[in-house]
Amino acid sequence: MDFDDTPDEAAWRAKVRSFIEEHRDQLGSRADQRGFDDTVSRQRQALMYDAGYVGVTWPVEAGGRGGTPMQQSIIDQEMARAGVPGLINLIGIGMCGPTVIYHGSDDQKERYLKRLLRADDIWCQLFSEPASGSDLAALRTKAVRDDEGNWRISGQKVWTTLAHLADYGILLTRTDPDVAKHRGLTMFVVDMKAPGVTVRPLRQMSGGSDFNEVFFDDVVIPDSERLGDVGDGWRTALTTLMSERMTLGGGGTSIGVSVERVAEHVAERIGELSEARQALARQDFGRAYVASLGIRYTGYRLLTAVSQGQLPGPEASAGKLAGTKAARDLADLAVRLLGDDAVYAGTGDGGVSWQDLQAVLPGMAIAGGTDEVLHNIIGERVLGLPPEPRADKDKTFRELAAAGA
Amino acid sequence: MYFDLDDEQRDLAAAARDFLSSSASPAAARAALEADSAEIRPGRVELVKSGFATITVPEQAGGGGGSVLDLAVVAEQAGRVLAGPSLVTFARAAVLLDGHDDRLAALADGSLAVAVVDGGPVLDAVGADTFLAMRGDDLVIGSGSVGTREPIDPTRGLGDVELGDVEVLETGAAERWARAERVARTVLAAEGLGAAARALEIGVDYTKERHAFGRPIGSYQAVKHALVDVYVEVEQLRSLVWWAAWAADHAPDELRIASAAAKAAAATTLERAAETLIQVHGGIGFTWEHDAHLYWRRAKVDRLLLGDDVAAYDEVARLALEDAR
Repeated sequence: MDFDDTPDEAAWRAKVRSFIEEHRDQLGSRADQRGFDDTVSRQRQALMYDAGYVGVTWPVEAGGRGGTPMQQSIIDQEMARAGVPGLINLIGIGMCGPTVIYHGSDDQKERYLKRLLRADDIWCQLFSEPASGSDLAALRTKAVRDDEGNWRISGQKVWTTLAHLADYGILLTRTDPDVAKHRGLTMFVVDMKAPGVTVRPLRQMSGGSDFNEVFFDDVVIPDSERLGDVGDGWRTALTTLMSERMTLGGGGTSIGVSVERVAEHVAERIGELSEARQALARQDFGRAYVASLGIRYTGYRLLTAVSQGQLPGPEASAGKLAGTKAARDLADLAVRLLGDDAVYAGTGDGGVSWQDLQAVLPGMAIAGGTDEVLHNIIGERVLGLPPEPRADKDKTFRELAAAGA
Repeated sequence: MYFDLDDEQRDLAAAARDFLSSSASPAAARAALEADSAEIRPGRVELVKSGFATITVPEQAGGGGGSVLDLAVVAEQAGRVLAGPSLVTFARAAVLLDGHDDRLAALADGSLAVAVVDGGPVLDAVGADTFLAMRGDDLVIGSGSVGTREPIDPTRGLGDVELGDVEVLETGAAERWARAERVARTVLAAEGLGAAARALEIGVDYTKERHAFGRPIGSYQAVKHALVDVYVEVEQLRSLVWWAAWAADHAPDELRIASAAAKAAAATTLERAAETLIQVHGGIGFTWEHDAHLYWRRAKVDRLLLGDDVAAYDEVARLALEDAR
């Protein structure tokens, strides 16, 4: 057991660090709102890709470097350390790209992957629908083959992060309503600029607009844009979701909130409280901090397992569950410590970060698998507990839809 | 980075599990609860004979010459079966007696039955004949008299100790004392990890078998999610225990916060695990016959040992805030 970089890892870290230092200004800062502007974000990702720091774990023939998860983790750590904002195409890199790598044609790989890694194209993931969130296989968006062999898409997706900027998306559709619901699905790459695609930004409770609803009105997709076999979309989607696990679940980086930043904030503010309230605040902070440490070191275990060649299993979901809770506890404490400012959307001096964080975090317990679904996944696939009886077994999608399910 | 046990540690865990599961058990803990005269299992003699108790004692003094992480791996197994006396006592004594090879040899051959006194009720005072304590800044060793009361968890051998004749073993020993306490907290957390993990297993097994309203109760989300919450906490605790043990061996600067974090998390996690174990069993979980309350007893006592969980969370907070200033 050790936490040291191997000589190779240390050399890699030094390389990454000196690259970041050298391009400090171009890479931008998390403290600066402009760092999140989409043009700036695209430029940042292109700069990093050209230097060899995006998609390092991807195969070389896919535009990556054939590197290790540990190398990627070192990049993440160094970016966090330097306060460099994350990559804009994270969903593309974490979910869409791997799906194309596993299930796409050579032509698709050739056309899409490198541009995705450079953020020349932005990608989104079109899975959830108004009537199918956690129950993804209940989705209704229809794909029907026309006389020319193309597919015609009609339906609606929702909660689609980045759709308003996206050039392409991976789209899960129903191609056969007369089989069990997870059997009749097929996945495609869709051109988000194609005729019939309408993107409407949704405003979140936090006031921001990062996600969208997307309407498909007789959108034509050539069969060559299919990912995986017809009717095999469920299995294709599992590839996407498994890749998502690693992106959301761990690797030892914090999710949602930097515990160090909260610590600085608490250290700065706690003196304003009475002794008795200080003791309470320390108790809250201590609990959330211990949880954060537990998450960090559990992330290191996951990273170790992955770097030993294991695939991240369902137990990785525990990282998201614990991370969400810790983030909410930390944000809650941070906001409370603002005193009277805590009832307003910003502090007197214009700071909004803690209030914003507070308003963003409820979404974290929903996106990428709700807390409840993750509990079920761990309960059933890690602890081996029996599933709930299901009312949708042995029925076709058409029968279920007719029954209003 | 490699943050996992190695093959040797896995073999050690398996060997410890073999020994401990045949020499200690919740049933033995219940027997100790029912009759004052019943021995705590495996007991000092067997534990010392097995070699597991003195893993961290140097080889030249007759110990195993192993690491704190090795001992933590064994302690997890001890926690699963509610073994006593605690490996905490041996680990702490090994640090306090380090450099005194004759005393260490006596610890390792079983002729020294030691307990460590820090003011409150003393862990493993029952059956101890030699006591280690601080007098001012000095580490002292000597005799003492033990007063016992009806225990909540008899496997912890708690008693109030009045020191008798003592001699100074080392002057200016505050730093050594602090390290011993941190190692002790780490090993306590490792025992808590084992107990919590075992409590979770028992709960999971039962809810797969027990049926209500025509299906296993483990299929109900209300029951399933409660067990998953325990699982998540147990895995976070495992990471903290390994980190603290690793820090004890390799990163003394990190040991203070790591051991406080592990101690705090162990208290919270074992309590939740034990109470969930009772809850998912329903009525049978509340009976004397069922093992659930033996884990619950361990939880209710351990959380208060070596400083309570509130103090440990406070210590973590203070250290983290100091760092942030």
